[in-house]
Amino acid sequence: MLLVGATLGLGAYAVAVLDGVGARVAAGGRLRLMDIAAGPLRRAALLARTSRSTTERPDLQAWALAPAIVAGMAAAAVAAVPFGPGIAVADVDDGIVLFGAAMAVVMVGVYLHGWSANSPMPLVGGYRFIALALSYEMPLALVLIAAALPAESLAVGAIVESQHDLWNVVRQPLGLPLYLVAGTGLAFWGPLNGADGPDLAGGTSAEVSGPALLAWELARRFVLVAVAVVGAAVFLGGWQGPILPGPAWMALKTLALLAVLVWAGHRLARVRLERFVVVAWAVLIPLALVDVFVSGALAL
Amino acid sequence: MSESLFVDVAFWLFGGGSVVAAWLVFRTDSMVRAAYWLLASFAGVGVVMVVLNARFLGLVLVLMMAGEMTIMAVFMVMFMMNPAGLNPMTMVHQHRQAKIAGVVAFAGLALVGVVAEFPDRPADPEGEATAELGRELLGDSMLIFETAGVTLLATMIGSIAIASKRGRFGDAEDGSAPPPLDPQGDHS
Amino acid sequence: MGVIARLASGADVPVFPVVAAGGRLAAEALRLLPGVRVEDTPRAATVLVVVGRLTRALLHPALVVHDQLPQPRATVWMPIGVDEAGDPEGLLSAFPSVTTVGAGDTAGLRTVFADLVSGVRASDSPALPDMEPAHWRGVGPYGHGGAGMTGGVPFGRPLPARAPDPDGLELDQLPLQLGPLHPGLPPGLVLHVGLQGDVVRHAEVGANPYQSWPGDPAPGPLDTATFVDALRLPTPVADLELARARHHLRWVAQALRLHGLEALGLRVAALGGSLSPTDRCTVQAVTRRLAGSRSLAWATAGVGVTDGGLLDGIETRLETGPVRRAAGDTGDARSDDPAYQGLGFEPVVHQGADAWARLRQRLAEATQAMDLAERAGMRVRDPGPALEGPRGTIRLDAAMPSTALCELLPALLAGSEWGDAVTTVASLDLDVEEAALARSGSAPASGGRIAGTPTGSGHQNGGRPGAGAR
Repeated sequence: MLLVGATLGLGAYAVAVLDGVGARVAAGGRLRLMDIAAGPLRRAALLARTSRSTTERPDLQAWALAPAIVAGMAAAAVAAVPFGPGIAVADVDDGIVLFGAAMAVVMVGVYLHGWSANSPMPLVGGYRFIALALSYEMPLALVLIAAALPAESLAVGAIVESQHDLWNVVRQPLGLPLYLVAGTGLAFWGPLNGADGPDLAGGTSAEVSGPALLAWELARRFVLVAVAVVGAAVFLGGWQGPILPGPAWMALKTLALLAVLVWAGHRLARVRLERFVVVAWAVLIPLALVDVFVSGALAL
Repeated sequence: MSESLFVDVAFWLFGGGSVVAAWLVFRTDSMVRAAYWLLASFAGVGVVMVVLNARFLGLVLVLMMAGEMTIMAVFMVMFMMNPAGLNPMTMVHQHRQAKIAGVVAFAGLALVGVVAEFPDRPADPEGEATAELGRELLGDSMLIFETAGVTLLATMIGSIAIASKRGRFGDAEDGSAPPPLDPQGDHS
Repeated sequence: MGVIARLASGADVPVFPVVAAGGRLAAEALRLLPGVRVEDTPRAATVLVVVGRLTRALLHPALVVHDQLPQPRATVWMPIGVDEAGDPEGLLSAFPSVTTVGAGDTAGLRTVFADLVSGVRASDSPALPDMEPAHWRGVGPYGHGGAGMTGGVPFGRPLPARAPDPDGLELDQLPLQLGPLHPGLPPGLVLHVGLQGDVVRHAEVGANPYQSWPGDPAPGPLDTATFVDALRLPTPVADLELARARHHLRWVAQALRLHGLEALGLRVAALGGSLSPTDRCTVQAVTRRLAGSRSLAWATAGVGVTDGGLLDGIETRLETGPVRRAAGDTGDARSDDPAYQGLGFEPVVHQGADAWARLRQRLAEATQAMDLAERAGMRVRDPGPALEGPRGTIRLDAAMPSTALCELLPALLAGSEWGDAVTTVASLDLDVEEAALARSGSAPASGGRIAGTPTGSGHQNGGRPGAGAR
């Protein structure tokens, strides 16, 4: 549990710092490292001291539950990943399916967050997230299955060990890009930020303030970290690597993926929903199917 | 001993929780809450399955039901007049018929549950449930699952084709409503 | 102070800007201030910053937004313009407490914030009473106010009525007022939309909150002040073109922010704010980079298409401007301007008439403006009746181009999804304050007052003073 908590907490902090660096680089300003490092902590402290807003007749229980659901599912996903040979909270036989189930329940959490506020902008954000989430659940599931084929097991630990001679990112070139696209959408980050964008005045977070806002921001970053952790394990060979111990390699690979995701957030414009949904169904699913067929053929 | 105690506690807790959640589906006025109480009920069943060593089935149940209950919530909000339950109108009708039907159904199912002879084939607790499931799906039950799978895929593709922009009666952007059955009537 | 309080007082100040008359440029400049974070929603902000001169129509929305800020909160006023006695009607006294801070005075803002967070300064109490808008409980046959099962006004708002959809269905349509302080729309724009899901079924532009009433001081300073003044005063061509490039770059920055590229938008805004003639190559580089951005193209191509009939079918005539030139029209008032002869000026034109074409159009015009500024040297333009402003032709005693652009909105937005609607509105580059000017010649753009101006009788945008403010 401590492992999961530490991973998520440090990971969320890392995301915030990387985001600050990315923003400063993209904006062309001076990189004041002290400010960037302390910034997320200061903002968290401010949010903790701010009062909580309420709207007219919200669904209070669902509103409070939403960040808990999202964060809990991220924790469940991270729990299934081994950080070293034998170091895993719960390396179940069906780790990949656990990840898929957890990410499906994240959809429930985001929708509830948008629905509960009883306000039009958050509602639109919640519905947009459903449209996007349903579109890339299929490519996500398919590329993970493709990665599980060489391992002949659905356990994340077995998938990591099956990469001891060749990482999946090399063996299945379509896998990681598709996975990152789906992962970006799961955390509604950057180009796929339909749920919380500025055109919706903050979207599902529009009516949220104080500790609830802090919880939501943390939950969102937890999902991003979970996506990166599982991606590092399934596509980048997990804890395997020379010289350094297992957890150190996991940390490095996770940070690398987080950097890619944060960079994408600052570099790519937000997609038009309709266009992206069409692309997800008409392009990403066939690509994912190709990935599955090819890796299946190779595994036979 | 403690493991079977844990199994028992988990079974009763989550099994009972499923029943309570299912009852709450009909007690709540909010359509979204109703959909998600049903999800909670399914999740309880999923946990029971995991506890009974059918882990893959339990997790797949949760995965599928999360998506499905969300879609159900969307549809209920779309069709019902009072989706958040904020309007003080009664959401239920035909109380007498509903009570009678409910009692009859419960009595029938309870009778079956108590009287029927369930087979006593304890599964091997150390068995690889996922691998055995895979062998069953692609072995003895292949015809059933492949037929079902292809039918579902055809349904999905068909519904997407029907819902697509370029419909039978022209582009949706231009208002592709079919001509009304009644020449003066509305498009229903 | 506890550890948390001390940490919190060092954070970036989250502000929500209320852009009042004359405050648009300063509000955009707020984003560039270090240590200040402009939020998209008042619920995430701690300090409400009123920039410019509050008008009567903006007062109630500003008070509503003030009450939406969570505690602890404070209100700060940044007066803009020559007229420092900028609150003649005492509208600001409706706020529980207001601190005056100069525009761009980061230290002053941070002091207010630090005092607030550490407890030295008390948090603002609510400005409006916490009451329901209309009595409805227990009223009517079903107890939810009004007639019928589907009628009534529970919580003071009507249930959405059914309205037809292009697919032949009858779907619920929510009547919504968005603005005047919506962060996704230009400041002051009020849209009354009928929303079916996230599709705007119909949209009308609401009353202009900057509209002057008889006795109200004139609006301003406008963000196109340089151009309006050039109608009357001799102005160097280089200054005009530099102002044009600045304007377009500032617009690009806002558009990038709305498309999720906030950090890149800040870079462009900083460039626009400190633009000098030596930045020609930087502007060219920015243009090249953005015009080649595949993701931006994907996000804006095909959105908000203004085909020819639309541009000619509005009441107020849009003569020229980037919106017309992005649709292929070569009209530009600089073609006939004697001050531009010999500079090698050719109007830049794009095809496509969508938001992507308009983005590229303004980037190209910014680059062209920098080139013209360099070539013009010391040349001075004499005052004349017509001038090409950054939004279109500005004439003495004629409506400003924003008036015509506002009239395009109902037709453009009908049937578009909300994200596309925001993109479309942003791509038109409207200024609601400019549209409030009855005649460009009747009120000076640089602030100040003129007595006896016929401002109250203007009926642009169908505005009825005071109506629709929420």
